[in-house]
Amino acid sequence: MDLRVPSGWFFTLLGVILVGMGLFAPDARAALTDFNVNLYSGGAMLIFGVFLLVMARLAAGRSR
Amino acid sequence: MKLAPVDYVILATYFAMVLGIGWMLRKKVFTSGDFLTSGRAVPVWITSLAFIAANLGAQELIGMAASGAKYGIMTAHFYWIGAIPAMVFMGLFMMPFYYGSKARSVPEFLKMRFDEKTRGFNAFMFAVMTIFSSGISMYALGLLLHLVLGWNFTVSVLATAVIVLAYTYLGGLTSAIYNEVLQFFLIVAGFAPLAILSCAKAGGWHGIVSRLPSNMTHSWTHLGSTSQNPMGVEVFGVVAGLGFVLSFGYWCTNFLVVQRAMAADSMSAARRTPLIGAIPKMFLPFIVILPGIAAVALAQMAGAGGAHLYELPMKLGVGGVHVPDYDQVLTTLMGKFYPAGILGVGLTGLMASFMSGMAGNVTAFNTVFTYDIYQAYIRKGEPDRHYLKVGKMTTIVGVALSIGAAYLAGYYNNIMDILQFVFGVVNAPLFATFLLGMFWKRTTAHGAFTGLVTGTFGAVLLWCFTVAEGKGGVLGHLHTFPSTMAQNFWIAIVAFTTCFLVTILVTAFTPPRQESELEGLVYGLTKIRHEEGVKWYQRPVVLAVFVLVLAVILNIWFA
Repeated sequence: MDLRVPSGWFFTLLGVILVGMGLFAPDARAALTDFNVNLYSGGAMLIFGVFLLVMARLAAGRSR
Repeated sequence: MKLAPVDYVILATYFAMVLGIGWMLRKKVFTSGDFLTSGRAVPVWITSLAFIAANLGAQELIGMAASGAKYGIMTAHFYWIGAIPAMVFMGLFMMPFYYGSKARSVPEFLKMRFDEKTRGFNAFMFAVMTIFSSGISMYALGLLLHLVLGWNFTVSVLATAVIVLAYTYLGGLTSAIYNEVLQFFLIVAGFAPLAILSCAKAGGWHGIVSRLPSNMTHSWTHLGSTSQNPMGVEVFGVVAGLGFVLSFGYWCTNFLVVQRAMAADSMSAARRTPLIGAIPKMFLPFIVILPGIAAVALAQMAGAGGAHLYELPMKLGVGGVHVPDYDQVLTTLMGKFYPAGILGVGLTGLMASFMSGMAGNVTAFNTVFTYDIYQAYIRKGEPDRHYLKVGKMTTIVGVALSIGAAYLAGYYNNIMDILQFVFGVVNAPLFATFLLGMFWKRTTAHGAFTGLVTGTFGAVLLWCFTVAEGKGGVLGHLHTFPSTMAQNFWIAIVAFTTCFLVTILVTAFTPPRQESELEGLVYGLTKIRHEEGVKWYQRPVVLAVFVLVLAVILNIWFA
């Protein structure tokens, strides 16, 4: 099993949830937050998740 | 702190994920080797991240933010001095013997190099230590979840323990290692935003420096004498105690971390494991310590209505005085900065760190128990099927014992002080044994055993006679240390030196072993294969130089 596949899907899913929160509830803030933290960190997780999936796909292509 | 439905969804997704990984890996477990040592077939990037994740338990995460708030950037010494050099040494000099000897555990290596009694002593100490470590960490997390979220202590402890048990039982060490990597990513995802947000709010690093006393934001400048810095230590204590004895003892001889490197798929990968792991390890302080330092700066900044932006959490201390409760810094900061959504990720990261710490202890415990206690002393010569079954049963027993230890930690805080101290120094004398054993072929088994026993008990005795911050001094009061940190550093130095000298002394009076028996176990008698066909940037020496240069830069930057 290539660990990049399940962790890639996991972070993609987390990213989608957080970006969704960031878009639909852009004003959700805690006492000291100045940014739309859900949107930015969700975006980063989404990119990381997709990156892992792409890496896994490339590795699978090479070994075939 | 209140959680929204989305936070629970994230937490549940993560739990489903770790169980899913365990479920998928269950079909790969046929032998005791598959279950307990991963059949030595794990890719190097995975072993490297697991190598540092197994050490990144909940106590570590909570404790580093707490120390950041209490001691400032000096806490980073636990990484830049207290881990990196030792990890480099391990990859360059010790891994060839661990991996090359085909030993399945650290105690088994001791048996090959020395004798049965040295192995027995170490295996027993280690087994007890892992159970109590995981119990103490479980207690810390349960207490925190109860304080912050109002969750029931028993339910949160049992639920997380059952999940750890499920995935380690299904997939063994491989499952634990794979999940540790996922947990490492999640810890970074959950806490890096906190570091960025809290630091930005406090005006960046410059804003923090301008608000805090100089000894909170400089790691080396104020180490001249014990009275100048909040940790109560001086250069010698840090370099010799933490940087040499404690850290080499932990990173080079603690089976919990060594086991991860030994699961790598080749000698070259095993040697690269601690070296590659050192790179992310170096930057962890920015995620785990920085929020604690920023919290102290925020506590001095005025917000709306004349109140401070943030107040350090308080608790009732000795004699009815309120003292800061540093252990709650991390979670209260999360409450101040995280809205629903990312809060779920942060909380999941906290749970993940707890699970990776516990799974690390449990998988190390079942290997040492099965191979070094059960197979060595209880039932020898059974077919492998039998040991696989014992390994699986031991996993269940290990988790159950840890839960028991967690409750014990709640009832007897004093016993826990002693135990935590013992774990702190138990590896210090062991490192002297390994240093002599691996690099001096003359070292005898009787010498190693006597040195190890006197070093260990010498340390405990010294703790019983010295006092720091009201701890220790159970049997008498000969000396007072300025802080428990200084006490730990100095006792480790004494334990190491005692073991080192006694081992040499006894060795001088006992007969050495045949050199032919020591091949593959001792430096100078072992051919270390040159890495052919490995690219230049994959060579251990190249990696080691790169890692050390980075570590020096960081040390100078924050001196």
